[in-house]
Amino acid sequence: MKKHAFAWILLILAAVISVGSVTVLGPCVHADGSEAVCSRAGRAILIDGCVLAGLAVLLFFLRTPTGRTAVLFLVLCASAVGIALPGTLFPLCRMDSMHCRAVMQPATIILFAAALVVSAAGIISERKKDRRTKS
Amino acid sequence: MKRFSPVIRNLTRKPGRTAALVLLTAFLALSVFAGSVVVSSLRQGLGSMENRLGADIIVVPAEAESRFGLKNLLLQGTVGAFYMDASALERVRETEGVGKASAQVFLSSMKADCCSVKVQIIGFDPDTDFVVQPWIAESLNRPLEDLEVVIGCRVAAEVGEDFRIYDRKCRVAARLAQTGTGLDTAVYCNLNTIHTLLRAAEEKGISHKIDSGNDADVVSAVYVRVAPGADVGQVNNLLNGHVRKATAVRTAGMISEVSDSLAGVSNTIAVLIGTVWGLALLILLIVFAMMVNERRRELAVYRLLGMSRRMLSGLILKETVLCSLAGALCGIALGAVLIFPFTTLIETSLKLPYLTPAPGTVLLYAAAAAAVTVAAACIAGFRTALRLSRVDPGSTLREGA
Repeated sequence: MKKHAFAWILLILAAVISVGSVTVLGPCVHADGSEAVCSRAGRAILIDGCVLAGLAVLLFFLRTPTGRTAVLFLVLCASAVGIALPGTLFPLCRMDSMHCRAVMQPATIILFAAALVVSAAGIISERKKDRRTKS
Repeated sequence: MKRFSPVIRNLTRKPGRTAALVLLTAFLALSVFAGSVVVSSLRQGLGSMENRLGADIIVVPAEAESRFGLKNLLLQGTVGAFYMDASALERVRETEGVGKASAQVFLSSMKADCCSVKVQIIGFDPDTDFVVQPWIAESLNRPLEDLEVVIGCRVAAEVGEDFRIYDRKCRVAARLAQTGTGLDTAVYCNLNTIHTLLRAAEEKGISHKIDSGNDADVVSAVYVRVAPGADVGQVNNLLNGHVRKATAVRTAGMISEVSDSLAGVSNTIAVLIGTVWGLALLILLIVFAMMVNERRRELAVYRLLGMSRRMLSGLILKETVLCSLAGALCGIALGAVLIFPFTTLIETSLKLPYLTPAPGTVLLYAAAAAAVTVAAACIAGFRTALRLSRVDPGSTLREGA
């Protein structure tokens, strides 16, 4: 458990993002069933969350610090993209009081930012381990 | 830092105990910081609402108050349109005690192909208005032209951008400062623009049930400021008698209703903070009491090595200060992450005006929360420090042998 601490934290974050993007943290739902402007942002968040989950699972199987660092770097990139998804890369609805702006955007940014911090910490930790094994 | 190095070593050597103390103090700081920011935001929202309402009485069609509720329109940005004959404005002006009266026309846009977003559009008369214009003047220093709109701060559009309402392009002239009320989600324009939009809506097949068929003959609300020295209650009663098919509503009544709700929420938050503090302080005392037994032998060794009682008390207090400071910072950071990005969600959930205080005030609250948390932890730790410093090293070490 302790050995894979970063992988576990990232997997939990990815699961919250992915499940959240189709439930409580999802895009706005129109009463008439029409697609909201923010629905594409919602789908993009779901895909990015799944990518993050896949990368986190991959971390469990990699043994070399170099490989793990590479995957953590990919997680860092995916998290950075995730932060920019709602509002910057994909448009949201035009009213701040709507669900996508009031809930989806802030929650997604916080979760992806947490993933970014964890992956950065993971990279530092893996590099330290790498140096220790080499010396 | 050198002065703290043995303290830091002590803390890192027992990560579980340190983490528990940090968590507990973080919880204390979080409750104080988040609670005080929410209560302060609600108070600021109420103040902003009082300032921005600007009128003593609002006269609306009789069915409007029952169907939409003026409070909902103003606080939650409920979108609604209702109309009464424009002659109501003249009747209001003729009423004794009325100082100023200005009409507004409401229109709700549709969340459909014709419009950028569903918003409440408010048309005002620039010649007589005393409610919206002083507020618009803060962002725009020229008269509003036809097919120009001023948007509330919660409508996501940029100044200079075209805002489409019923397929008519309206240029965004300015964005208003935040009020923390439903007025933040409204769009303001002059009477010519609102009449153009009303016609555009009818062309789109959206009927507003205007009896005369002429949209220039209707108003939605008349805002009244009573003459100096006149009694607002009396003028309100006179208006209710004079203007047919309309209801006069005192804004002071609405504000006091909101104020009552706010007092309820504030009290609930105060009780919650009190409970959290009571429990957390109790747990802190228990944790420190357990620490007395756990660290008796360790501190006896320190005494044998030549540390004075004063130095021992200082060591324990320094540990407590460091732990509680770290906890307070974590709690405040967590509170900030939970409160500030979700301001809109909190506002819509509480259904009360909510205006976040200025950054300087927030920093003050953070500093106060940190100070209170560290002080509480120090008080709880002080007793332990005193008891441990009085430990007799010889007998303590013999007991364990």
